[in-house]
Amino acid sequence: MVSQGGRSLRQLRVGDSAYVSAIDNHRTGAKRLADLGFVDGASITMVRCGKPCIVRIDDRLVGLGLGHQEVILLSAASGL
Amino acid sequence: MSTHVAQQPASRHKLVALAGNPNTGKTTLFNALTGYRCRVGNYPGVTVDTRSGQIRSEYGLTPLTLLDLPGTYSLAAHSADEAIVLDALLGELADVDVPDVIVIVIDATNPRANLFLVSQILELNRPTVIALNMVDLAQRSRVHVDAERLSLRLGCPVIPIVATKQKGLALLCQAIDEAVESPSVSMGLDWPYPVMSAVESMHDGLAPVANGKDRSAFNAELLQTLLGDGGYHEQRWGMRCGEDFRSLLREQRKAVVDNGYSLASIEGDVRYAWIDRLIAETVKRDEGRPTGTAKADQILTHRVLGLAILAILMGACFQSIYAWSTPIMDAVDSAIAAGGEMVSAWLPVGPLQSLIVDGAIAGVGAVLVFLPQIVILFLFLAVMEDCGYMSRAAFLLDRWMGLIGLGGKSFIPLLSSFACAVPGILATRTIGDRRARIVTMLIAPLMSCSARLPVYMLFIGAFVPDSQLLGGVIGLQALVLLAMYMVGTVVAILVAMLAKRTILKGDPQPFLMEMPPYRWPKVRTVFHRAYEQAREFCVSAGTIIFAVTVVVWALGYYPHAESIAIAHEAQRQEIVSAHGAAVSQIEQANDIAEDGNTVALDELDLQMNTQLYRIDQDEAGEYLRQSVLGRMGRWIEPVVAPLGWDWRMGTAVLAAFPAREVMIATMGTIYNLGENVDEQSVGLREKLRSSRHPNGQPIYNLPVALSIMVFFALCCQCGGTLAAIKRETRSWRWPIFTFVYMTTLAYLGAWVTFVVASRLFV
Repeated sequence: MVSQGGRSLRQLRVGDSAYVSAIDNHRTGAKRLADLGFVDGASITMVRCGKPCIVRIDDRLVGLGLGHQEVILLSAASGL
Repeated sequence: MSTHVAQQPASRHKLVALAGNPNTGKTTLFNALTGYRCRVGNYPGVTVDTRSGQIRSEYGLTPLTLLDLPGTYSLAAHSADEAIVLDALLGELADVDVPDVIVIVIDATNPRANLFLVSQILELNRPTVIALNMVDLAQRSRVHVDAERLSLRLGCPVIPIVATKQKGLALLCQAIDEAVESPSVSMGLDWPYPVMSAVESMHDGLAPVANGKDRSAFNAELLQTLLGDGGYHEQRWGMRCGEDFRSLLREQRKAVVDNGYSLASIEGDVRYAWIDRLIAETVKRDEGRPTGTAKADQILTHRVLGLAILAILMGACFQSIYAWSTPIMDAVDSAIAAGGEMVSAWLPVGPLQSLIVDGAIAGVGAVLVFLPQIVILFLFLAVMEDCGYMSRAAFLLDRWMGLIGLGGKSFIPLLSSFACAVPGILATRTIGDRRARIVTMLIAPLMSCSARLPVYMLFIGAFVPDSQLLGGVIGLQALVLLAMYMVGTVVAILVAMLAKRTILKGDPQPFLMEMPPYRWPKVRTVFHRAYEQAREFCVSAGTIIFAVTVVVWALGYYPHAESIAIAHEAQRQEIVSAHGAAVSQIEQANDIAEDGNTVALDELDLQMNTQLYRIDQDEAGEYLRQSVLGRMGRWIEPVVAPLGWDWRMGTAVLAAFPAREVMIATMGTIYNLGENVDEQSVGLREKLRSSRHPNGQPIYNLPVALSIMVFFALCCQCGGTLAAIKRETRSWRWPIFTFVYMTTLAYLGAWVTFVVASRLFV
């Protein structure tokens, strides 16, 4: 399923994919996430929802706590 | 546990550093190249320290020393283990030179994620070789990396390898060998001008204290300092240069931000833009069907099912410790007892016989009996580590760990502490949040380590009925064992909650952990881990425990006053004389039938032997009471009496403060010294069960056994653990605090247990 624009990671359901539009630079952990590939344009897929959740980025599964989920901002993901 | 396997020699061995993301197979490659068997595992954070070894001669054309580094996603250190990596690459670790070559191990199944670190390391401008590992798995996942093209684009050799199967290692070593003499790699990324300008300004400002560092490496370090807000590099420069550095850094960060760039995301944006161009040219990927990992995660990371499976796995572990180990344990017990009897028969009675039989065999043997349980526990842990389940367990428990102010990342160090708290404390290096890390260190020793297992097994085996519950699904003994593990865990939860609300206040950092792909545990890895632990256990029994046992034996044997022997010998003579007189009387009586005569003589012999046996017992007990150990024991008896313990137990506990496994050995020695030699074949468990106070009351019963076990569950009797806390916190404050709070809790817990259990069960 393709996500709609402006949604946060918390709104994705299992199997939904989306592009990262930005990360909230003022939040703790933003640099860490950017280093791991959560940068503008990266595609992610929700594997397990909740607090924490598991997302797939590239071929890597990453567990993300609530604080990190709120740092990642998503854009519409046409074509995914 | 990661250990420094071998010191780097001072002579001219070229140094090769192994860097890479966590879980890319660095340690597997290190083991393959050096012949060492360092611990590997399928979860991030197995290696948290450096270790070095020589590359085997069949691979190295010139002598090379290999340095294995902790895995890291970025040179911007977010935790203590990651901070080691940049320090090692820059040659700033104590006793480690600047590496001559850097080998970056990357996972061929996921090159994009790994190339971020590659781009950072290439900026250090050092001779570099890329080991493209797991190309077999990549092929299976339909990921095709064009190694030649990648090598051309990166400007350094890229060698496809399969470290687990030792494939491609000769080529890799040849590339390393050539790289030692080859010029440094140089690469440039499109950094925005304000960022480069800020780095140059910092370079100029700090050049006087740079100690002749290579320009590229120094700039790479400064870039991480500039962008890593509050990171390890900033802290280190701050400590070195103080306020001058801080104001320079503030000024340069402001310049970057004022130009519209984000300190948090600029590095990711620049590097991933470069990586995406590189990937487009060098990597082809076919979309595949859902992997086994995805299917397994549907169940294993499920909020309810996943937790239930975790609980079942833990329960099965404890049940199997009992079910599988008992027959082996009995066999070891019998072998040790037989050994003691054999030595008793060979050696004349005296101090040497007592030292070997009562000290070495009874003491060390009492500990070795528990080897099977240790092996089974470690087989379980090794399977969980190697199959990739540990990260999932951390994921499942993150929410619950959050209730006590910690994160899921604390779970792996705590679970490791069930094996041994020392590697558990080292594993806290992966926790970025300093306060959460200290709390995890404080409670790690409360997890029941394998050294406590023998104590639990001894007292549960002796005093808890061997009955089955739930229709035979689980035994009462296994349930009590599980309860003992739970005591430490529950108290750890309470201590963590209290600490996070008082002395170490602060919100936990959000969970962030890679979930590695599942794989079948490798039989070799699993058995090697169990073997290593068994070996460590035996070495400990043969060294520290043996030494303490000899000391305890000496304290319990001497002064061995002759007056005691004389007094008891006189009693023996009296009995023997009386027996002789009685026998003569009977033999001289002519009017007694032959049969009756024999019966009466047998009765007389039995009577004499019983009396002599009692005198032997009295004598052994008297020796022990009059010994230095006996006097010390009576001195501390008032302190331990409220817990239901007698002086022997008090002494054994006191002797066990440096290392808790010493307790069993001490008990074995004390009980052998205090008993007749003929009774050596009876195991320690039986001796505890049958030991009595002078008034005939049993010394040990269920409440006493529970009190002892609770004390051991909560007490910090481990010098190694306290030393590890001191090393990791760089302060005596936390180990002292740990010792005091745990010992106090242990005493109070044991007292409450004894009082409550006495009312319930006696």
